[in-house]
Amino acid sequence: MLKIENLHARIGDTEILKGLTLSLGAGEVHAIMGPNGSGKSTLASILAGREDYEVTAGNITFDGVDLLELDATERAVAGIFLAFQYPVEIPGVSNINFLRTALNSIREQREEAPISGKDFLAKVKACAQLVELDGKLRDRSVNEGFSGGEKKRNEVFQMAMLEPRLAVLDETDSGLDIDALRIVSHGVNSMRSADRSFLVITHYQRLLDHIVPDHVHVLAGGRIVHSGGKELALELEEKGYDWIVDAQATEQA
Amino acid sequence: MSEVATPSKHAALATRITDACAAQGVVGNGNPQALAALESLPYPTTRQERWKYTRVTRLLDIEPQATTSGPLPEPVLAGLDAHVLTFVAGQYVDGEILDEGPDGCFVGPRSVALERYPNRIPAHPTDGFATTEWFAALQSAAPQDGGCVIVPAGQRLERPILLRHHMPSGTGVAQPQHLFLIGDGATAEGIIWSDSATEAAGLLNGAITANVGDGADFTLEIVQDESGELHHIGHHHFTQGANSKLTVRTATADAHWLRNDLHIVQDGVHADSTFHGCYLPNGQQFVDHHTRIDHANPDGRSDELYKGLAADRSTAVFNGKIMVHKDAQRIEAYQSNRNLLLGEQAAMYAKPELEIYADDVRCSHGCTTGQFDREALFYLRSRGMTETAAHNLLVQAFLAEVLDGFREEIRDYVHAVYARRLGWS
Repeated sequence: MLKIENLHARIGDTEILKGLTLSLGAGEVHAIMGPNGSGKSTLASILAGREDYEVTAGNITFDGVDLLELDATERAVAGIFLAFQYPVEIPGVSNINFLRTALNSIREQREEAPISGKDFLAKVKACAQLVELDGKLRDRSVNEGFSGGEKKRNEVFQMAMLEPRLAVLDETDSGLDIDALRIVSHGVNSMRSADRSFLVITHYQRLLDHIVPDHVHVLAGGRIVHSGGKELALELEEKGYDWIVDAQATEQA
Repeated sequence: MSEVATPSKHAALATRITDACAAQGVVGNGNPQALAALESLPYPTTRQERWKYTRVTRLLDIEPQATTSGPLPEPVLAGLDAHVLTFVAGQYVDGEILDEGPDGCFVGPRSVALERYPNRIPAHPTDGFATTEWFAALQSAAPQDGGCVIVPAGQRLERPILLRHHMPSGTGVAQPQHLFLIGDGATAEGIIWSDSATEAAGLLNGAITANVGDGADFTLEIVQDESGELHHIGHHHFTQGANSKLTVRTATADAHWLRNDLHIVQDGVHADSTFHGCYLPNGQQFVDHHTRIDHANPDGRSDELYKGLAADRSTAVFNGKIMVHKDAQRIEAYQSNRNLLLGEQAAMYAKPELEIYADDVRCSHGCTTGQFDREALFYLRSRGMTETAAHNLLVQAFLAEVLDGFREEIRDYVHAVYARRLGWS
């Protein structure tokens, strides 16, 4: 479904990704772990089409389509969703109006009819229940005055509404207490299906207790330096990243 | 570059305007003080602080023609249950007059009020600008018809009053004067709707005067929706008594060239003033909001919020003066002016002015001019919105703080005008 090959990217003069290669099959959940500054959030931003980064080499295909040719809007229409590490507050736009506009914008670009008011409300109700988002939060301005946990639940709520084929979760666990972590994870898990893939970016293993990945990758120095099964996360939790990063450095030397 | 207007040129303009107004019909006599001021005041130039960004040299060439009396314009806010009076080019044409006798409420044209109740209304209902500002003096020298609303003490008008002024096609001139006399403890809501034919040009130099009595509650919504090449100067003056509540909302929906001077005087203790406004010039339009509030008495409160966008090559000006007089202790005055620039060649000149002579006051002001929040744009686009849809939503959100204060019918109307003009819909 998603193929990233030898991706190099920079912001300004700083090279951040230095030959990243990664492949996700349909229905798979991959976790990306790694030390701070390794390029995890850069990868998420580039997948979603943030224009601050310049891709200098490599390519990304999504269902065979050259992703780098699509802008942020077109990627969302193609079925890519990024759950932001820092969701943006948009005063004056209600959550509901925001989602209706987004959903209908996507449908229009897919040449589908707008969703009916009745269907939309039913969907809002179902998706909000999934992450225990109450009515007040649905009607308030997007993320304005939301707690950290509420913002992350709102991201998963949006994901459920937009039903992406690939969801990228950028440090969705950061700033969450244990209850919010459980709720958010439950939301994600109930969306797992044979044709939907997840790329879960996290610094800590604890999220992966709840969202159990099929594959775990270690990103360090702008490259995937190690890959394994779900047990790799536990090993990283126990031993840290140094043993892999050091081994990699030795190998390269 | 200097913009010196020779005295003869602006004196000639004054003569052309007053003659044209007189030919169409003025109401009452011109204000003698204004007439005298018109003789002595200089014509505004960009060297004067109050006119620094507002070029009025172009107005010197206006040659008013008699506008033909075409069919009545289509009604506005047709769905609203309001007391409607319609004026065209400074003349009363149609409406529903309410006259409850010498002690009761009156809603009608000022010309009729002056005939029936000359003692109930001031002969020259203008403010200090009429002797200090050239265009205000011009207006007061040859005032034309407009709405007159008298609500005696303790009374309440249940339906809103809609005073609609229309400028027809052609290079016309009009100097309408609207008047609200809201007695002590009285309550009323007004709407002043100013629009024009698409081919209108010339000068609309109008005044709104409101005296709000002690403990009275008055709300006024001003909508300016003009096209063509009309030049509009508005002199909006409000005097408030003790414990009164005033709300003025001004929406500049569309304007080719517009200058509003809004002036509120808190003439009693514990007065409360809210004045909000929004504007969105595009193309090469020019919109200038000058506001001034005088906190002349203790314990007053004021809340000012103006928000606008300037697109394309347009220019927007905001100047907000808060004058806190020596005796105005314990007042609270808040001013906020927020602007977005949508075009690389758009210009925004914003200036808050606070003059505080009392020592125990709470005043704040904030003034920002920026562009779209890129992070917010990316967020919206990452959810599948096109750039246009995202812009639309952000502009709506930006203006909502001001527009949501208007009654629903006006909010929706103004939003639709903005959407049409910026090509959102």
